[in-house]
Amino acid sequence: MYYLGVDLGSVSTDLALVDKNHNLVEKIYLKTRGNPIKAIQEGFKILKDKYDEREITAAGTTGSGRMIASAIMGADAVKNEITAHARAALEFDKEVRTIIEIGGQDSKIIIINKGIVTDFAMNTVCAAGTGSFLDRQAERLEIPIEEFGDYALRAGSTVRIAGRCAVFAESDMIHKQQLGYAKEEIIRGLCDALVRNYLNNVGKGKTILPKVLFQGGVAANKGMKAAFEKELGFEIFVPENYSMMGAIGAAIIAGDQVKKTGKTKFRGFKLAENNIFSRSFDCDGCPNRCEVVKIYENDNILGYFGDRCSRWTGKTNEILGLRSG
Amino acid sequence: MKVGIPKGLLYCKYHPFLVTFFGELGAEVIVSEDTNKNIFDAGIKYCVDDACLPVKIFHGHVNFLKDKCDLVVIPRIMQLWKNEYICPKFCGLPEMVLNNLNGLPPAITDPIYATSWKNLYSWAQKSGNLLGKNNRQIKVAFNKAIEAQKNHKTGIDDEGYEIKIALTGHPYNIYDKFLNMNLVKKINNLGMGIRTAEFTQEDILAREADNLYKRPFWTFVRENYGFALNSAKEKKVDGIIYVSSFNCGTDSVIIELIKNGLPDFPFLILKIDEHTGEAGINTRIEAFRDMLERRLFNESHISTLG
Repeated sequence: MYYLGVDLGSVSTDLALVDKNHNLVEKIYLKTRGNPIKAIQEGFKILKDKYDEREITAAGTTGSGRMIASAIMGADAVKNEITAHARAALEFDKEVRTIIEIGGQDSKIIIINKGIVTDFAMNTVCAAGTGSFLDRQAERLEIPIEEFGDYALRAGSTVRIAGRCAVFAESDMIHKQQLGYAKEEIIRGLCDALVRNYLNNVGKGKTILPKVLFQGGVAANKGMKAAFEKELGFEIFVPENYSMMGAIGAAIIAGDQVKKTGKTKFRGFKLAENNIFSRSFDCDGCPNRCEVVKIYENDNILGYFGDRCSRWTGKTNEILGLRSG
Repeated sequence: MKVGIPKGLLYCKYHPFLVTFFGELGAEVIVSEDTNKNIFDAGIKYCVDDACLPVKIFHGHVNFLKDKCDLVVIPRIMQLWKNEYICPKFCGLPEMVLNNLNGLPPAITDPIYATSWKNLYSWAQKSGNLLGKNNRQIKVAFNKAIEAQKNHKTGIDDEGYEIKIALTGHPYNIYDKFLNMNLVKKINNLGMGIRTAEFTQEDILAREADNLYKRPFWTFVRENYGFALNSAKEKKVDGIIYVSSFNCGTDSVIIELIKNGLPDFPFLILKIDEHTGEAGINTRIEAFRDMLERRLFNESHISTLG
C-alpha cells in the first residue's frame, strides 16, 4: 500500500512513493523538458514495471503543473508547493524552523513555529537566482550542473558578481571572465551573489532561525550550501531527498485525504500508454480572448485550462469532481 | 460632441462623477471597454517601458478611444486631500499619453485638485468651457455629478466566510479583473472573504497614519497603511493581501511601513506585471490560505485543493 506524490515542476518532474508510515520507497527524478505530460508518462512507465497500480491507495500532485498533473492522473490532493514542502520537511525533522527552497523558477522561504507554517515568502515576479539560471550558466561555461558546486568549493577566493538581476549577473560574470578570473572563482562569486540576493529579497525581514533545511533542486549545489552557511553563520542541512520533498509532501497529504474519503481518485498507470495530447485555442466568448488548453486522452477530453472566467475550467472541475476554483 | 473616458486607473472610483458630469453637459459619453487582451497589448506596446502596469493599461484604454471620440479626458489627479498627493505618475499622465500615442483627439488635461468642491469646480469650469458651455450649465452638471459620486458606494465587505482577509493596494489593481487575473474571485473561491479600505472611515485611516513619524506625502500611503493597521488591530481580518504592480514607488514605501507596523501579522504581497500565467499567483494565495487555516484552527487538516 503506497501513496504516490507527483511534483510537476518547471525544470524537473519528481515522483515519490511513500508507505503508510511515510517512508520513501521509490523516487524518480526526470527533467520536464518543456513537456509536462510526457514527463509524467515517462515516470509512470517506470513505476508500472515495478508496482501494481492497485498498490497505490492515494495520489497527490504539487508544483506549478499540479492542475494538469491531477487532470491526467486523477489526484486526491492538488496542493501548492509551500504546503507540500513544509509537510515533508516536518516529517523529516520536527525541529525545523526555516526551510530554504530553491527550485527551477521559484525560490521560497518558509518559517515554521511549533510545527505550523507561520510565515512564508516567494520571489517576486522575477525568477532571477533560481535553478534555471544556474543551469544556463553551467551550460555557458560548459560545466555539468552536477559539478557546479565542486567548482565553487575549489575556489581560493571569490569574485564579486552583481546579484540583483540574472541578466546583470550574467554580464558581470562575462566581464570578470574576460579579465581572466578563474572559472572556479567566478562560480563561487555567483553562489555568493545568489545567496545575497535570496537573503535580501526572498528572506527580507524574516528571522532565519536554525534548524534550517535547504530543499529543492538547487540544494544539490554544494557551493550554494557553503555560501548560505558563511552568510548565516551556522550549519544548514540538506535532507537526503532534497529534490523529492515536494513530491513526498504531496503523497503524505493525499494519504491523509484518502483516510477521510476512503477511496482514491487515482486512475492507474494506464496513462503511460495512452495517447495524451493538448490542443490550444483562443476562446471567442468575450474580448479577453483567453488562450485555452484542452487536454485529450485518446478521444476523451480530460480537461481545460487557461481561461479567466470558468467557462472552460468549470468543465474540468466537473470532470475531476473538484469544487470550483 | 463625443467625450471619451478611459476605463483605467481611478475610473473605478470616480466614474459616477466623470460620466454624469459630461453626460449632463450634453456630451455623448463613450467609455472604453473593460480591460481586455487588445487594450492590454496596446498599452504595453505604446507606453514607455518603465511605467507600471496600470499606467500602461491606461494607455491602452486611451488608444481604444482615440478614433471614437472628439475629446478625451485624461484626469491629471493631483490632490484628493490637503497637504498630500496621489502618485507622481498621475501628475505626468497626460504628457506620457500625449507623447506615446499618435493621432489623439484634443484632450482635457487640466490638473484636478479635489481638496474641496470649490477647487474641484475650477477643473469642471475649464472642462465645461472646452465644450462651449456657460457657467450656469456647468454648475448644474457639476452638482449632479457630485450627487452621483456621493450616492455611489464601492468596496467589498464579504460575510459568511470562515477566513477573512484585508485586500489592500491601489483601487485599480484591486478592481481591474484582467490586470489582477480575477483576484477577488480567486480569493473567494478559496474560501476567504474580503474586506477593502472603503469600509474603514477616513478619520480612522488618518488616525493610524498620525502614528507614523511623519505625515505621509502620498494619499495611497495613508489609505493603505491606515486600513491595514486598523483591520489587523481591531481583528476585523485574519490576514492581509497586498496587490502591487511591479515597479510601484509608493507601494515600496507602504509595504515596508505595514511590515514594520505589524511584524507578526500574516501578510502576503502579490506582485503583478505583464504575466498572464496564473500558476505563480495561485500558488501564493493557496499557500497563504493554508497558512491562515492552520494558524486559526491549528488542526492537522489540510484542505485538498489548492
